[in-house]
Amino acid sequence: MTRRRFHTGFAWLATLLFCLPIYLALVNAFKDQRQILANPAAPPAPFTFGNLTRALQRPDLLVQAGLINSVVVTAASVIILIPLSSAVSFYISERSRRWKALLLAMFALGLMVPPQVVLLPIVGLLQSVGLQHTYTGLVLSNVGGGYLSFAVFVYVGFLRGVPREVIEAARVDGASDLRVWWQVVFPMVRPATATVAIFLGLWVWNDFLNPLFILGPLKGQTITTGVYLSVGTYSTDYGQLFGIMFLAAIIPVIGYLVSQREFIHGLMSGASK
Amino acid sequence: MKGRAGRGLAPVAWLAILLYVLFLLYPLGRSLFLSFTDRNPLKADSTFVGLRNYADLFDDDRLLATLKFTLLVVVVVTLVANVFGLAFALLLNRDTRNYRVMRTLVFVPQVLSGVIVAFIWRSILTQNGLLNAALAQVGLTSDTAWLGSTNLATLSICAVVSWMTIAFATVVYSAALRTVPPELYEAARVDGAGAFERFRAVTLPMIAPGMTINVVLCLITTFKLYDVIAVLTGGGPANTTQSTAYYLLEAAFTQNLFGYSSAIAMLLLALTAGIAYTVTFLLRRREVRL
Repeated sequence: MTRRRFHTGFAWLATLLFCLPIYLALVNAFKDQRQILANPAAPPAPFTFGNLTRALQRPDLLVQAGLINSVVVTAASVIILIPLSSAVSFYISERSRRWKALLLAMFALGLMVPPQVVLLPIVGLLQSVGLQHTYTGLVLSNVGGGYLSFAVFVYVGFLRGVPREVIEAARVDGASDLRVWWQVVFPMVRPATATVAIFLGLWVWNDFLNPLFILGPLKGQTITTGVYLSVGTYSTDYGQLFGIMFLAAIIPVIGYLVSQREFIHGLMSGASK
Repeated sequence: MKGRAGRGLAPVAWLAILLYVLFLLYPLGRSLFLSFTDRNPLKADSTFVGLRNYADLFDDDRLLATLKFTLLVVVVVTLVANVFGLAFALLLNRDTRNYRVMRTLVFVPQVLSGVIVAFIWRSILTQNGLLNAALAQVGLTSDTAWLGSTNLATLSICAVVSWMTIAFATVVYSAALRTVPPELYEAARVDGAGAFERFRAVTLPMIAPGMTINVVLCLITTFKLYDVIAVLTGGGPANTTQSTAYYLLEAAFTQNLFGYSSAIAMLLLALTAGIAYTVTFLLRRREVRL
């Protein structure tokens, strides 16, 4: 009994120590500059919303504009990626063994290529069709790049577990391929869709490189690049800094806490493969 | 003929493949092509220069320094993240509410973007930052520039990236540990195996696939390290904390050396792919032996 208590106590100590930087960012978002430097680790007393209101009252609307842009880019990317990747995965898993191997090898490449390696040609391509510095260009490069590879591998892996009889039965009933996919397969791979949506949503939201180089500094920013480009000059105004950080991080963190069961499930299916 | 489903999906499927070709395969091919030219957007024409860009790589002291730095960070982060991630996962491997909450907390660094993580750490590590303020508070006057000198800045970057990666590794190892059937531990216990024996003979072989994935993902993600460096040190002091990925972007977008930067890109790709494949191969072979 005491041994178990000791173990739990030690586990909590390690966890809290590990999370100390997050704790610091959290409490200091609600303290003023003087309090922060006087005692960085102390809880906020008195509690102030000054940093948050100051962050929201910036004339450049960094936080508001950044959040809206991030929501739009992330939603558009994920909403296009899901049907596209699940359809191509179903298509791949129905092909002959040789085609399947070929297509999967092609998509495997995308899991490994560092985004920096393809960034310059992507920017050139977008420039030549007039989509550089546009949200459309950013979303397209999200949809066509390595994220698609990830989604395809999650779906193809999951489709292995879908019984062939179900698909055959639907086809015997005369359903078109499009209907088989949309009405039979898509509902059956829901856990895979959850994994893909959660991870891609998080990655696109947190993405730095593509928005930084495709949108460019003058044409609007996602919250991640916005923080990077504007906060640099405030680096010693910790109150302001932590206020902006808090507002920038709150959406993904809440999303994670809400969806953590699927999160862990997705990681589990990845780790056991 | 055995009918195959999915033909009706061909238009959607080929649209996906087309996008993939446009935004991944074509850019790869284009990078390869550019690496054989002296393309520079400020000059009207570019000429084919064969392998000159690749030959130049070996004479570029800055590039070699970034390679050394990148490999150092990759090795340190992969080792630290896997050792601590596994230890952390073992420590938290119980299925009560307390432990579930702890596992949830440990993953949070992965949920934040690298930019935010780096800003949090920068405000901790910078010279008049929180760490030095806390040290002053307990009577240790400290004005150590944790990000200001080459060695400390390198150490800081390793620490911050390890911190993020430990969060990821812990959750993957936790998931892998849950796939170990409890009967195996019982059997080992009956056979008189101690805690360390049980870990070596049961846990380690059972989580070997998870370990392979974890190590390879750590390698791949650390090789493309960019955002943490951009925020934490900006590559400084004196370019000593530049990763190869960082230098590549500088050569491409600041110096406009499209040809040369593409050769760096190919080198980075070859290194990442080569090391990832080799390590996967070695670990998979080990999985079988375990």
